[in-house]
Amino acid sequence: MTDAYITLAHGNGGRYMRELIERVFARHLGNPLLDVNVDAARLPWDAGELMFTTDGFTVQPLEFPGGDIGSLAVHGTVNDLAVSGATPRYLSLNAFIEEGLPLAQLDRIIASLARAAKAAGVVVVAGDTKVVRRGEGGGLYLATAGIGVRTPGVTLGMQTIQAGDVILVSGPVGDHGIAVMLAREQFGLKGELASDSACVLPLTQALLGLPGLRFMRDPTRGGLATVACEISHATGLQVNLQQSAIPVRDPVSAVCEMLGYDPYYLACEGRVVAVVAESDAAVALDAWRKLPDGKDAAQIGYLQPGRVEVVLHTPLGGTRILDELEDDPLPRIC
Amino acid sequence: MSQLRALHFVVAGRVQGVGFRPFVYRLAQRFDLHGWVQNQLGQVEIHVEGSLRNLAGFATALIDEAPPLSQPDLRAQMQTDLAGMTGFTIRPSVGNVPADIHVPPDYFTCDECLSELFEPYDRRYRYPFINCTQCGPRYTLINALPYDRAATSMREFNLCPACRAEYENPLDRRFHAEPVACPQCGPQLLFQNDRLRLSGESALVAAVAALRAGQIVAVKGVGGYHLLCDAKSDVVVARLRARKVRPHKPLAVMFPDLMSAQQAVEMTDTEAEFLSSPLRPILLLQQKTNNGLATEVAPGLVEVGIMLPYSPLHHVLLADFDAPLVVTSANICGEPVLTDNTEAETRLAGVADVFLHHDRKIVRPADDPVFRMSAGVPRPLRLGRGCAPLELNLPFTLETPVLAVGGHTKNTIALAWDRRVVISPHIGDLGSLRSMVVFEQVIADLQKLYNVTASRVVCDAHSSYASSRWARASGLKVSSVFHHHAHASALVGEYQELHDWLVFTWDGVGYGEDGAMWGGEALLGKPGSWERVASMRPFHLPGGDVAGREPWRAAAAMSWEIGMDSPALPTDGDLVHTAWQRRINTQQTSAVGRLFDAAAALTGLVTHASYEGQGPMWLEAASTGNACAVIDLPLSLDEHGIWRSDWAPLVKMLLDTTLSVSQRADLFHTSLAHALLAQVRAVQEKHAVRCIGLAGGVFQNHRLTEMVVNLLTAAGLQVKLARQVPVNDGGISFGQIIEMGSRHD
Ligand SMILES: [Fe+3]
Ligand SMILES: [Mg+2]
Ligand SMILES: [Zn+2]
Ligand SMILES: [Zn+2]
Repeated sequence: MTDAYITLAHGNGGRYMRELIERVFARHLGNPLLDVNVDAARLPWDAGELMFTTDGFTVQPLEFPGGDIGSLAVHGTVNDLAVSGATPRYLSLNAFIEEGLPLAQLDRIIASLARAAKAAGVVVVAGDTKVVRRGEGGGLYLATAGIGVRTPGVTLGMQTIQAGDVILVSGPVGDHGIAVMLAREQFGLKGELASDSACVLPLTQALLGLPGLRFMRDPTRGGLATVACEISHATGLQVNLQQSAIPVRDPVSAVCEMLGYDPYYLACEGRVVAVVAESDAAVALDAWRKLPDGKDAAQIGYLQPGRVEVVLHTPLGGTRILDELEDDPLPRIC
Repeated sequence: MSQLRALHFVVAGRVQGVGFRPFVYRLAQRFDLHGWVQNQLGQVEIHVEGSLRNLAGFATALIDEAPPLSQPDLRAQMQTDLAGMTGFTIRPSVGNVPADIHVPPDYFTCDECLSELFEPYDRRYRYPFINCTQCGPRYTLINALPYDRAATSMREFNLCPACRAEYENPLDRRFHAEPVACPQCGPQLLFQNDRLRLSGESALVAAVAALRAGQIVAVKGVGGYHLLCDAKSDVVVARLRARKVRPHKPLAVMFPDLMSAQQAVEMTDTEAEFLSSPLRPILLLQQKTNNGLATEVAPGLVEVGIMLPYSPLHHVLLADFDAPLVVTSANICGEPVLTDNTEAETRLAGVADVFLHHDRKIVRPADDPVFRMSAGVPRPLRLGRGCAPLELNLPFTLETPVLAVGGHTKNTIALAWDRRVVISPHIGDLGSLRSMVVFEQVIADLQKLYNVTASRVVCDAHSSYASSRWARASGLKVSSVFHHHAHASALVGEYQELHDWLVFTWDGVGYGEDGAMWGGEALLGKPGSWERVASMRPFHLPGGDVAGREPWRAAAAMSWEIGMDSPALPTDGDLVHTAWQRRINTQQTSAVGRLFDAAAALTGLVTHASYEGQGPMWLEAASTGNACAVIDLPLSLDEHGIWRSDWAPLVKMLLDTTLSVSQRADLFHTSLAHALLAQVRAVQEKHAVRCIGLAGGVFQNHRLTEMVVNLLTAAGLQVKLARQVPVNDGGISFGQIIEMGSRHD
């Protein structure tokens, strides 16, 4: 393959396509279970229950400080399994490539995807590529499906949450949302702002043994506030968040203040929000803080009977209700 | 002996809880008439028999001599058959007839109670809960109507024999004064600091001592807690500001009496009269130089909000302290004022040194009402204690009751049915836990008190106002009204002529018909059908809600819009420039409120506001009102046929440091007033305009308002301003009702 860019021929099922798969996908992702010449993968399985999830990735730009669409496609799916109490094992990968994408960029992204998969302990066992015409895709869209094995004896879910339970977050929020937005709009900032994109499996596994663990979620789209709203609606309880306790890195809050954004609504890609019984909160925090990705973990709130709403308690003693996200926020101060 | 006749009267209006029936009783005695008076849930029915001459005297006195707080509305007066009655009785109320209900607001202390309060031999000497049928709390302690003691928070206090005798004596001023009380049987004060707990008179003495020692005292008043401190001490006021984290927002000051107030502020006779009226409002008045008040009371401003004591507690406190006190609502960041003892102690810990509680429950909050003189008339900036719920008549009849949930900031709600509407007291800025709790409570309470159940709700067209979200979740049929249509309709709704208006809705930002943030619109037509005919040159304002608190953003955005570099950006300000270029969290606006913000920032007065409206208020305070040149704002038609005034020439003037800030402020006000006149002239070329209206928060600025009124009047035009309903967002709920009700006509 001498061409530097993806052409429609890379999607026609012929030589170009075979070469693309061999030289990019199979080269980076190769493993004993991935056989590009068969229609379905044969997977060994031990006893227990499977957990299965799928996710699509359309992030712009494709590469941003702290990650790229490739690593994101692994973390997004792996993290969904992890917060559900599973150990991720296998992934499938669908790539929708836009005509004109530089091959070198595709190569970087798939290499990054492979590194992320390896780090997360998963293998890509099936895949597909399609090429779409110029202008019909954002360079590259990825979709991954994931299979994990459920940790026996662990039942997580919002229905297990009780009044008095506390809310923990594994680290600072808003980094991914701000980093991607600044990269997309070419703000020309460098350095301190990077996505938190990471596999959260070590974090979730650190809590799985706790009897008081109720629920975990990775606060992606809509951020921490959206997860909190979902918890409130599902449980009928009032969620109280202590603003001073919620970790937000200084450069993130500085940019948020300037742009008028609320960091609690911005996506994270490497954080976990957990609800635990109050009696287990200290142990859970301790376990998280021992991990490199959990050193800034914090207890940020609690649940109580009251209004079915998320109430942010401000440092000045005021409160602010964090609503479900609307369209694009318009100013409300008259 | 003349022939006997019988007359029957039906009296509606405000005749509940104001001593109207005892008044009728005394009148009957005076004119030697027999018969009865009866309360039929809101209306009073009277049957009297006697000589023709005495009946005529009674009929005249019934209206002419009615108790000062009542507003009787004679519905019927007819001849009826003689029943041969002997004596005159007050018949028990009939409570189950749904009729014309009026919820009385909280009244000041009447002169008679006041003289008892300071009469050492009176059994209520220095008793801070003295009241009678002519005064005292109402709205804040009523649980349900009919207005009886058992349905108020006074039910917990059993009348002592002496009070009961007054309560049951038709000839007594306290006949059925529901909150009647005395030191033996009524509510008590409670003083609380970190060491002491005192009650009654010693609590009062200790609180005054604390004030003298420069401490900050949280006082439970009529409609909520206030924070009180010495208004003459810079150190004490600065301490209050530091603890409340409220660096600049003006604080209200209560003076012991009119004379001491007159020494501190400029006051006309009209203003003095209004200040001393039963409403006892906070009135904004110009400070005299070296008046002794701490400069920290109203930094950056020329005016200060002052009031006179209204409750007996305030009378005693101010008499003992004998000097002006800061009396500011105890609330957190725009929330409704605190009313509960425990909540006050928790949330004001760290702010107040001392608490002066009492044990009478405040059922719902009412802040002090705030007024400002403009074009010769006191106009409300905030509805509250003494004037709310504000009851008005509608210019149309509603088939089904409607609830209007108002705006997002300075929220009030309104309930309308038939030909009536009531507007709640100021609730506060929505979006906090407490404001939403009070918002919902007031919605439920007004419906309960007036015995009206809304079947529809009307909200702002801005879908993420907390009030709009509430409306959507209410289960009622929802209609929405554009913010500035509501502003315009609120003004028109106060007047009877409903056609051919041209209303200038100059304001902060509100969601407009085209999805842009309006706020400088001239609307032509009438409620229910407004057409935008003129506006300001739009610009893109970055930062969403933050822009409302940071005037430098409007200044920068207007500079960028006309291709200039922004002067003096804060750190990371260039980030905002990129956001502005990319239209990230950046909305198009034509709001005049933001032009004022920009002017405040460009002149260097306010770049970051610590309270809403600080920029415009400081700019107004910097202006002198002296005649000055006019900068012409070019007027042109846009592609939609809307006249647009271009503010661009103002930007260069505002940056011209060869002019003083006052000169620039004068030029800015004057030029905007002339731009308004130019818009009127342009619109008149094609449209009949009968009346020019001024609505929206910008017209709280009396410098601008008076310039506009003078200009338009001199040009032979008729100008109208609100008198009863706040021109700011406190009037949105009323405007929503008017707008909505007019759509069906
Ligand atoms: Fe408004
Ligand atoms: Mg996901
Ligand atoms: Zn009285
Ligand atoms: Zn008594």
